[in-house]
Amino acid sequence: MTDRTENLILALPGLLLLALAFFLPIGQMLVLSVEGENGPTLEHFIRFLSDPFYLGVLWRTVRLSLVITIICAAIGFPLAYIMARVGARTRLWLIVMVILPLMTSVVVRTFGWMVILSRGGLIPDILRDLGLVNRNFALMQTETAIVIGMVQVLLPFMTLSILGVITRIDRRLEEAARTMGCSFVQTVRTVVLPLSLPGLVAGSLLCFTLSASSFVTPNLLGGTRIQVLAASIYKSVTQVLDWPFAAAQAVILFVGILLVLAPYVKMTGRSHG
Amino acid sequence: MANVRLLDIKKSFAFVQVLHGISLEIASGEFVSLLGASGCGKTTLLRIVAGLESVTSGGVEIDGRSVTTEPPEKRDIAMMFQSYALLPHLSVYENVRFPLRMRRIGSREEQDAKVKAALETVQLGHLADRRPRQLSGGQQQRVALARAIVSRPKVLLLDEPLSNLDARLREDMQVELIEIHKRLGLTTLFVTHDQEEALSLSDRIVLLNGGRVEQEGAPADIYARPETGFASNFIGSANLVPAEISDGPGGPLARLADGQEIPLAAEEKARGKVTLALRQEDISLVDASEAGALKAGLRTRVFLGARNRYVLSLAGTTIRALTANDVMLDDGGAVGLAIPADRIRVLQD
Amino acid sequence: MVRAVPTPLRILAVVFVILTGLILLAPLVVVVGVSVSENQFIAFPPQGFSFKWYEKVLASPEYLSAAATSLQIALLVTLSATVIGGAAAIALHRRQLPFSDVLATFFLSPLVLPTIIYAIGMLMFWSAAFGPVSPITLWIGHTVIALPYVVRTTLAVLAESDPFLEEAARTMGAGRLQRLLFVVVPQCVPGLAAGAFFAFNISFDEAVLSLFLRKPGLTTLPVQIYGQLEFSPDPSVAAVSSIMIALTIVLIVIIDRMLGLSRFAST
Repeated sequence: MTDRTENLILALPGLLLLALAFFLPIGQMLVLSVEGENGPTLEHFIRFLSDPFYLGVLWRTVRLSLVITIICAAIGFPLAYIMARVGARTRLWLIVMVILPLMTSVVVRTFGWMVILSRGGLIPDILRDLGLVNRNFALMQTETAIVIGMVQVLLPFMTLSILGVITRIDRRLEEAARTMGCSFVQTVRTVVLPLSLPGLVAGSLLCFTLSASSFVTPNLLGGTRIQVLAASIYKSVTQVLDWPFAAAQAVILFVGILLVLAPYVKMTGRSHG
Repeated sequence: MANVRLLDIKKSFAFVQVLHGISLEIASGEFVSLLGASGCGKTTLLRIVAGLESVTSGGVEIDGRSVTTEPPEKRDIAMMFQSYALLPHLSVYENVRFPLRMRRIGSREEQDAKVKAALETVQLGHLADRRPRQLSGGQQQRVALARAIVSRPKVLLLDEPLSNLDARLREDMQVELIEIHKRLGLTTLFVTHDQEEALSLSDRIVLLNGGRVEQEGAPADIYARPETGFASNFIGSANLVPAEISDGPGGPLARLADGQEIPLAAEEKARGKVTLALRQEDISLVDASEAGALKAGLRTRVFLGARNRYVLSLAGTTIRALTANDVMLDDGGAVGLAIPADRIRVLQD
Repeated sequence: MVRAVPTPLRILAVVFVILTGLILLAPLVVVVGVSVSENQFIAFPPQGFSFKWYEKVLASPEYLSAAATSLQIALLVTLSATVIGGAAAIALHRRQLPFSDVLATFFLSPLVLPTIIYAIGMLMFWSAAFGPVSPITLWIGHTVIALPYVVRTTLAVLAESDPFLEEAARTMGAGRLQRLLFVVVPQCVPGLAAGAFFAFNISFDEAVLSLFLRKPGLTTLPVQIYGQLEFSPDPSVAAVSSIMIALTIVLIVIIDRMLGLSRFAST
């Protein structure tokens, strides 16, 4: 046996598993999305893209994802920077703080938000007590609820992505900037921010992709009236049982994500030259 | 113990040829150093003997038998790596036992005896249960050595094993290597870039340059009689000064660029344009007015502790001299140099 | 040493971290709080203190069977993902296969694709090829999404290992299988262990795939919880969720002990 054969044997189970149980299903879905009574058709795509309801779903999905991503970036960047610059002990605790939500089931996390945001929940109570809102105020079943819940879910992804990059920034660059007269804020703006851009971009792409494709949290926090694309897909599959339409929506989601990812991949691909 | 024969070994990586036909014979029990600068091919050659690299052409014989196509695990060798390559998940004891396990040498009790003996040889018996990461660099290195000798291989291969140690440890280990070699008598192939190391450890030195054998011989021979400019520069740190030799009244006379003349040994046969190889340690500083002293300009003195290194200008060539630290001259001015005639090597390029 | 950061900013940073911590951890705290409530309504802060919801959960056949399903599948997934992923990581690390970089991306691709897209594909493919879904479908699906984690953690450990160990083993007479068993796999163990725990966690907590690939009788714990949340939550949901949180914490502690969590800060 040669080295190459040995490595092939080691890699084969994984290759087979992914080829048969990952790529093949994806292919099947693609095929199904153009399935019609009389052969391949684009009717499902057309149906989606010409119905204002579905376009509204699509727009809402994109809009919310953008908002969520921006908020995650705004919070994630300072958090990552702080995590990178504190002592090892504190950093470990911060990592646990960030990873714990990541590793709990999404249904558990979302349930927590349901409690906090519902009519009898903590935050509306506080807001009511402060006189800011009226008696009927509920945060549940609103887009705000979705955003809040999703931010908690996705913040760890953004933070860890940026953290990875910031820890590799040579601290002496910041020190050099300080010795050249920059204030702390200026240093962050002119040295740290540009250098952490790859992490920010990667994290943002991850956040956007995950927000656009999530449905547990939006479903539970937004209710049936506020639908995102993934929820619509779920409905098509489990309730309406219109699988080709569901597949078409999934393809639209997939393509949309690829469109967002592609320029990034091309950018980083080139820089690795 | 076995002899090793390398038959016209050529090796290329992609389109770069690194070994241009190396032929060598290493007698059974001999300690041979492969000496050379980085990139000269010495490590590649060692790895070829180990079987970790294939040859592009040529052959390797161990104990009269061709092993050229055999993988390392089938050859009766042991190798010591520059980074020691100790198995981190095993104890020192298990590390040393590993070759005996893999090659299925001896019963459990016999293996135990051999491992203990090897650890005793390197004086690490008391650390048998530690993990490699708990040991210092010098201790790890000795574990690697114990592991290499425990199976009494036909050929022992050492790839710059001492280069990661600091100077003091390195000297100690060199002495230990000599003693172990005397005791066990294993055929040993040792790769190093340090000429002093090669000189002190080897029965024979093979000097490699650019994938070719530049010179080989016993340490004393190579040191006293380097045959090329490269050899004399590499071994014994010689200065190279151009001169022209002609016959003089008292024997051959070497004339330097500035007209100064140096008498050479009577037996010196070379005439015409040559290069003189003057060892740093053979040059002494004398009073410039002394008879026979060569005149040179003093540029700088570098203090080395036990010795001084003087950077001088002799007949337009910058040379260096290594002297004891009792004479401390300082910059500027002319000094006198004296070199015994029989210490001057003449090289014809 | 000069204080690099001005004090007001330091205070701001502390406040910021605390607030962020609240956002990140509040839901979990709330869930645990609700789980010990006396009251039947889900409210926070909880009124009263009682473990009765835990008792209810532990006696409920639906929750117990869902937990059993989740546990069985998670254990199977841990096994399959670790073995397949570990082997793949070893092969990738050696970089001797053609297109090593492409292959590495290939193995990490399930991470990039949103789970819902994969879930649909899997459902449609399985139905077309094999008919109704079964626990095996879930097993395979979970293994696929857990695989990249095992590959990644194992590769990370291998990347730090001594590249000369296998060569040294060869010069010590170790044949191919011996090298694999006695040198390479022992090197991987920390990565394999961490990967195994990640795989277990991912499978046990997984909701999306399990929601699509379910049928009556094939319900995992997260799916069971989701169902309750959609229709009639009482604090027993909180009790189950708290148990799951506790499990996650245990897993995090174990992973930290084995590998050190800071290693995964730079993913």
